[in-house]
Amino acid sequence: MSNTENRERKEKLVNEEIESALSEEMKGSALTEDPEIREKIRRRVHEEIEREIRIRTAAERRAEERRRREERRKERRHEEGEMFQRFNRNFRFQHMVMFISVILLILTGMPLKFPEFVLSRYVVALWGGIHNSTLVHRIGAGMLIYFMVHHMLYTVLSRDGRRDFILLIPMPKDIRDAAQNIRYFLGKAPEKPRFGRFSYIEKFDYWAVYWGCVIMIGSGLCLWFEGIVLKFFPKYFLDVAHEMHSDEAMLATLAIVIWHFYNVHFNPDRFPGTLMWWHGQISEHEIKEEHPLEYEEILAKRSKADAGEVVHR
Amino acid sequence: MRGTVWAAGLAAALVLGGQGFPTQAEARISLEKCVICHGKGEFRKILVDGKIRDLFATGDSLKGSVHEKKTCVDCHFDVSEIPHRARPRRVNCTHCHYKGNAEGAPQSDASLDYFGSAHGTAIARGNPKAPLCQDCHGNHQILKAKQEGSSVAKGRVAETCGRCHIEIYAEFKTSIHGVAVARGIAEAPACTGCHGEHRIYSHLDPKSTVYATHVAAQCSTCHESVSIMGKFGIEADQVATYRNSFHGVADRFGSKTVANCASCHGTHDIRPSSDPMSKVNPKNVPRTCGKCHPGANPNFALGKMHVDARKKESGIVYYTALFFKYLTIGTMLALILHIFLDMYGRTRRLRGEK
Repeated sequence: MSNTENRERKEKLVNEEIESALSEEMKGSALTEDPEIREKIRRRVHEEIEREIRIRTAAERRAEERRRREERRKERRHEEGEMFQRFNRNFRFQHMVMFISVILLILTGMPLKFPEFVLSRYVVALWGGIHNSTLVHRIGAGMLIYFMVHHMLYTVLSRDGRRDFILLIPMPKDIRDAAQNIRYFLGKAPEKPRFGRFSYIEKFDYWAVYWGCVIMIGSGLCLWFEGIVLKFFPKYFLDVAHEMHSDEAMLATLAIVIWHFYNVHFNPDRFPGTLMWWHGQISEHEIKEEHPLEYEEILAKRSKADAGEVVHR
Repeated sequence: MRGTVWAAGLAAALVLGGQGFPTQAEARISLEKCVICHGKGEFRKILVDGKIRDLFATGDSLKGSVHEKKTCVDCHFDVSEIPHRARPRRVNCTHCHYKGNAEGAPQSDASLDYFGSAHGTAIARGNPKAPLCQDCHGNHQILKAKQEGSSVAKGRVAETCGRCHIEIYAEFKTSIHGVAVARGIAEAPACTGCHGEHRIYSHLDPKSTVYATHVAAQCSTCHESVSIMGKFGIEADQVATYRNSFHGVADRFGSKTVANCASCHGTHDIRPSSDPMSKVNPKNVPRTCGKCHPGANPNFALGKMHVDARKKESGIVYYTALFFKYLTIGTMLALILHIFLDMYGRTRRLRGEK
């Protein structure tokens, strides 16, 4: 019984403190007399105190931080609505490994393709000479190979990976979507095509990377282990690998710099880029705009689950 | 007696050669005195190592050479009495050969490069075998390098260098460049064509024209020129294909270990690839490549070495390049068109058009 007594006494003490602070701070203001505002302030202070009590461990503090951030975001951009998890942690990690390795590979590879370009010598000097540059290129290559293996295992072993892979397979709908999108750009179609989880643009990106990785890793490994390759194949086989490596590098770089950068950075909807690659979340506003079919699916699943819960009860 | 002669000479110098230059008459007097001894056919000295130094020299020794008008003491100026007691020192050519000289020597400082060169620094370190000017250019019969009989003329310079670099001379003599020089082909390089004239350095010295990273540039001075190579039916784009290959690119970025022209074709023993003794003859390619790529086998020789993907002769490489060219153009055109259509649509909607 002393416990409740204790709490009541504490509450009373707090209330008194709030009262005195209020009359101190807002002396003469008509607002302080308003009981409604007084009540509001009192409630707010109580909330704060409760929160302070809640935060005990570091993990709790982090969770609290996240909650506050979310609240702030909602206040600032309430039009965005709820956040949906679009990419899981594993997928984001793969993307990071890939883009770091590709940046390294482009920075160390392109000077070899354009040795006469004025900046090439400086880019090579950045790594401390051509030998270091080739070493960094192999580090990047190792990362890309790791990414490829990781992604294949992810596709096979992970439930999300299997689902995404199936959704990424090109379908007749993608051709219809592309045609409708172009007519929409030209003002001939009234509406944008309704995309599922992956639009034809994202599917193209995915398969372009797949094709690029296969060509680049295949030809790159031949050039890396030229001694072993030449044990079994004639020299012109390596020449072909060299040509493929060089040309596909150009295609991939152009596709990344022009196409991918436009779609995720320079596109007026996205400029200067979103943090989706970091937190993997998509706002309600954006998912409705970009992936309406997926949004509907999520909602349907949710209402089904809710209904199931109700039935279960 | 000698005193009076000197006094007379001194008086003559003061009276006749007011400007301090010896006159023609005086020169002849000096020459006459020298040939009292040096004009004897048997005048020679046996050195400690048994070699014989011929000391025969007459007024005809300089005839026809660039120093025709000079006299003995113009170069052997440390001889101040006759007969000289000590052996005169070796002639120092820079006494006259410098820019701004008043002796009528060519106005050039080119020979100063010699002092920093491999030969000049060897002399400075006290190497008695290292060559001075006269070791290459000759003693009394010095001719201009362009004159055919000169010891440093293109046809003879290899022989001159070969006096010391005998093994290299033997290699060079039978190489394609050596054969071409012997045939009198003006474009073919002798030693100095690649190594330079006075500025000869060790190939390990970064200043050298044949330093690892300079070899490609040095060879390309001739081998890149269509007008020179066209005369001999040699492809001039070998330089360009090398520069575009990984070897060439790494070489351009300063790699000292990557293959340059000489790594595969050899240095002094360069031969056409059809020659069975050539390092780039298909039979020898595995061994040549094997210097850097351990375990090289005959597969290394299957396919053209200097591949140009833009040429139809390259076969499968050409078609690969062609495929990727159109793939890249096609893909990028489609993607860029899509981007522009997207932007066009956005602009329409921003303007409020339907």
